[in-house]
Amino acid sequence: MKSNDLHLNEDQVIRSVVDENDLSVAVRDHLSTCLACQRKKEQIEKELTSLCRMAKESAPLPRQEIRLPFHKPRLWSWRPVFATGLAVILLIAGVWWYGLVTTSKEKMTAQIIGEAEKDRQLTAEIDALEEYAPYDFYPDISGESDPDYFDEFLEFVVPLEENQNKEA
Amino acid sequence: MMADINYQVAELAEKARAGDRASLEQLVNHFHEEIFRMVYYRTRSRMDAEDLTQEIFMRMSKNLPGLKDAGRIRPWLYSIALNRVRDFHRKKRILSFFGTTTELDAVAQATAGSSNNPGDNVIQKEFQLQFHRFTEGLSRWEREVFMLRFVNHLRIREIAEALKKSESTIKTHLYRALKKFRENPEFRDLLRGGVL
Repeated sequence: MKSNDLHLNEDQVIRSVVDENDLSVAVRDHLSTCLACQRKKEQIEKELTSLCRMAKESAPLPRQEIRLPFHKPRLWSWRPVFATGLAVILLIAGVWWYGLVTTSKEKMTAQIIGEAEKDRQLTAEIDALEEYAPYDFYPDISGESDPDYFDEFLEFVVPLEENQNKEA
Repeated sequence: MMADINYQVAELAEKARAGDRASLEQLVNHFHEEIFRMVYYRTRSRMDAEDLTQEIFMRMSKNLPGLKDAGRIRPWLYSIALNRVRDFHRKKRILSFFGTTTELDAVAQATAGSSNNPGDNVIQKEFQLQFHRFTEGLSRWEREVFMLRFVNHLRIREIAEALKKSESTIKTHLYRALKKFRENPEFRDLLRGGVL
């Protein structure tokens, strides 16, 4: 059997796709006449053509124009405008947030001071109540508020003997 | 037809090299989409691809007077693009080392299909996923050579020039990549579906 009667093996088919000229003359002669081997090679080539086409279709198209050195700089571009807008919004949000935090801190401090003052007043009132439990007018009735009156009152309730004799 | 285009491109490159701005603009327009796509498949980010494409063309216009043979504009431009992509990945690696960047799910991100048909978008997403998986299984050089040959449609001589390697080295990498491609029935089934 002559070598050009043999069909191409897998390696030879692949080599024919890479570069047919790298195959020996006998193998090339066989390939040029054998439909089965040609079909094998064409099948791979079809797949690779399909790969190229699908790669082209699946890739997006460029959106930006190419700016060359001699082109005038663009006066307006959405990117810096967008970046500036975003920076301004962030700055405003930051200032607002800082103000909110500071104000709420001040408010909280004032509230705490107010509550402490109220607590202090309440404590003072309780202390006062503990020291002088009865209302103010009770000492007047009992005479405790006036020591002289207290003596007179006792004299009235339980007169001394000598004073009784005097009166008699 | 192809030879005509190549001749026209070489002529534009020659004029642009001599300082003709209109020719330079035409040259940029001719390669814009192709280079963008090339970068997109290597970064898998539209925004990065836009920025890198801009940088590539700026570098092209700057270095064009130094181009020796205007007929070799394509591999020359691809070598600039490949260097820029390599720099991009290097920077990204450094940033990720310092934890200043997060690794996004590139495949999930790469969903910007050009079709409005939902069915097409599903196929495109599936393609991107399978393609990503396949190329991840290749070595760095196999991947580069395979993509330049079958996605960007460069000839072997052009790939060799762009990568500054010999043609036989390119063929070896291409052969190995194709062998792995043949061993990937899932991806090939998807492509065969695309063929029909």
